[in-house]
Order: sequence, then structure tokens, then C-alpha cells
Amino acid sequence: MSRLHDMGGRYGDGPIPVPRNKNNQVENSEPTFKHEWHAKAWAITLAAGALGEWNLDVSRHYRECLPPKDYMNYSYYEKWLAGLTNLLVDKKLVTIEELKKFISLVQEDTSNKDLNENVKLDKRTWLAKDVQKTLGWGGPSLRKTDITPLHKIGDNVITLKYNPNENVIGGHTRLPSYAMGCEGKIFSYNGTHVFPDKNAHGIGENPLPLYTVEFKASELWGLAAENGKDKIYLDLWEPYLKIKA
Amino acid sequence: MNSNNDHNLHRGQGHKKDDAHSHLPSDPELRVKAIETLLLSKGLIDSKTLDELIDTYENRIGPQNGAKVIAKAWVDENYKKRLLDDATSAIRELSYQGRQGENMVVVENTADIHNVVVCTLCSCYPWPVLGIPPTWYKSDEYRSRTVREPRKVLSEFGLNIDPKTEIKVWDSTAELRYLVLPVRPDGTENMNEEQLAELVTRNSMIGTGLPENSK
Repeated sequence: MSRLHDMGGRYGDGPIPVPRNKNNQVENSEPTFKHEWHAKAWAITLAAGALGEWNLDVSRHYRECLPPKDYMNYSYYEKWLAGLTNLLVDKKLVTIEELKKFISLVQEDTSNKDLNENVKLDKRTWLAKDVQKTLGWGGPSLRKTDITPLHKIGDNVITLKYNPNENVIGGHTRLPSYAMGCEGKIFSYNGTHVFPDKNAHGIGENPLPLYTVEFKASELWGLAAENGKDKIYLDLWEPYLKIKA
Repeated sequence: MNSNNDHNLHRGQGHKKDDAHSHLPSDPELRVKAIETLLLSKGLIDSKTLDELIDTYENRIGPQNGAKVIAKAWVDENYKKRLLDDATSAIRELSYQGRQGENMVVVENTADIHNVVVCTLCSCYPWPVLGIPPTWYKSDEYRSRTVREPRKVLSEFGLNIDPKTEIKVWDSTAELRYLVLPVRPDGTENMNEEQLAELVTRNSMIGTGLPENSK
């Protein structure tokens, strides 16, 4: 019932790829982007997102919807590029024919300079002069509503047992499978936030109460918990939670 | 339940046959080049915007911002209180705000509590104060293991947490972004804010490291 991106708690992954310097100390400052194409893939994704044809939840869901084999084989920014490519075509910003044409062009390794001369920018295109302003504003998910939250701090709750997306079977959700059907306690209330389960499918923002919920490690992992003291905190929307009877 | 007839809108259950991404060349550099050239030719992106974005996160926004927040909290008890009460506003006092840090939460390490941040579902990270996440933060290994065996994970960073210390793992599943306030190192009583900021490592603000000791 889950997708490959939902990997919290999974067994089988090896050591964390922690970079170390010559003295074998943990490296705290590797380059922001390891390769130029990483930087480009990242920046193009941001710039295309700024066209306003989709939101953050949609772009996340597109990465999650990649075929499992591709999701696992792709490196991080390859996932971003693949998700972006599907979005560009689905949202009709480019056609599959145009995409194929440009793939052939770059593979032929000819100079493509003339293609980009005298291009008229689309009126939606993000301009360099607006970059700092837009970054500074960001895209807050907090919305003012008159919704009264159902739960209070300290309440015991149980998370839903299955993917809680009520609108789309197999749709986007932010309740990880490792925390499904588990008992937790409301740790804090964070106001009403855009609900990704709907926003990722273009059916409205539907802001709903968002709580931080505390889980004991022993509740999530049973005997496999490393230490009975440890706790795990997740930010969960109200529809993911039931009151503990 | 929605019947998912409009697959383009919903992408409910997954990919389509002959999906656009399956046409991309195997060399990732060529993939980027194809998409970049196509979008440039259609006027949907501007190369100056890409340059500005990359320059911003390579040179202006990064863990040096977060280090200033931490150092200020170490020397100014009132600021620390504001930071723990309403991190978004307190961080904005230093002019750090915006994309991927719209709603900030700061969690405090103490003698008995060690906090560590992860995003198991994707790679959520507080951009305005830490910049773009390091490769290990985005790795399957970190994403899968940190919630289940944080002590083993931290030991791989050279951090051995006392069994008597409680570990709190924060899985960023919404748009709240977490920053760890590490314990101020001993022997730094005579250091000023600027000197203290030099001791604050990126990993100490994620929870996978400690600040450097004063030299």
C-alpha cells in the first residue's frame, strides 16, 4: 500500500554515506552542488515551478509516482528531472514531440545556440530581478481559518491504518507507513495548513489542523526499538488521526 | 472515491505507459541539457534566473546563517526564549526567511535530550538557515534508518549518545522545518557571538554532530 519513497524504518540499507576529510573527520562543508548538472536540474525545477502551473505537493507527488524501478535507480536529481519532465508534458507546457526533438538535438551534440536567440519570454517566466523577493516570501502553507482543532495537547490519538487519502485511491499522503495504526500523543498544535492529500491532486488547498504527534520508539518498532527512552515526532494533519477510545 | 479517469490531473496510482520521462537519455547531463534547451527556446525559463538561483545558494544562503542564529541564542537568553517560542519570527529578526523555511521550529539539546532531524518521505530541510541539504541527508540510508535506529546512525557520524540520554527524532512530514539548537561547548565563556558562530557546524544543527570545541 505504500510507495518506495515511503522508506522510513525500512531494513536493508547500509551505512550512511558520511563524507570524511583526509584526517577521517566528518566533513561538514561539501560543495552545495556536486556537479554542474545537479545545480542546473535543481534550478530548472524551481524556475519551472515558478510558472505557477503546479504546487509543491504536486511536484512531490510526481516524483513519488515514478515507476518503482526508476525511483530506485535514479539518483536524487534524476528523480527531480524525471518528475519535472512528466509534469511539463502533463501540464501541456511542452509536447512529447518537442521533448523528443530536443533530446535528439542534444544527443547530436550540435550547437543549439541559434535556437535560443531572440526568444520572447513567456509572461509567466520567473525573472532574475524577482528571484530574491520570491525566495524571501517563499510559499507558506499556513492558512488562517476559523476551524477549531479537534484535539488538545496531551490527547492520545491513533493514526489511520491505511493510506488516509480519502479522495484518490493510492494518492499522495504525508502519513508515513511506519507510523500507520500507531498510538501517539498530541505534542503541539501548529495551526491550519494546506492539506497535501488534496493539494497534490489539484483539488484545492483545504487547510486543516496540523499537529506534531509524539510516538514512543517502542510503539513504532516494538522489541526492535534501540532504547525505550527515545521518541519520534511527526507532523500530521487531523484526518490522519482518530481519538483513542 | 475518485475514479482517476483524469490521470493527468490526479496521477493517483502511478505512472502512465510511455511516460514522458522514459524518453530521456541515459546520461543525466544530456537530460538536463535537453530540458534546459527546450524550456529556454520556449521562453519558459531565463538563464539569468538559473544563475541567480545557483549563486544565491552556493554563496549567500547556507549553514553560516543558521550558525549566527545559534550563536545569538547562546549569548542572549531572551533571544533564545523567543527562538524556542516562535522560531520563524526570531529567525526573521536576523533577516533569514522564506522558501523552505516559512514555518520554523527550533528544538533544544540539553544534558538529557539529543534531537536529530530527518525527512523520511523526501528531503525537507530548512533552506534559509542551512541551505541545500547535503547528499547524505537525501540518501536512502539516512531516510530509512534514522527513525528506527537513530543511535546507530549517529554513531556513524562519530556521535555516541549515552544510553541515559533521550533521543528525539523529528521526521519533517509537513511544511514545518526543524533546526537543532546544540548545547554551547564548555570553555567558551569568554567568546563573543562571532567567535561562537565559527564553532557551530552544519551537522550540529541537524543533530548528526556537535559544535566544535573552542581551541
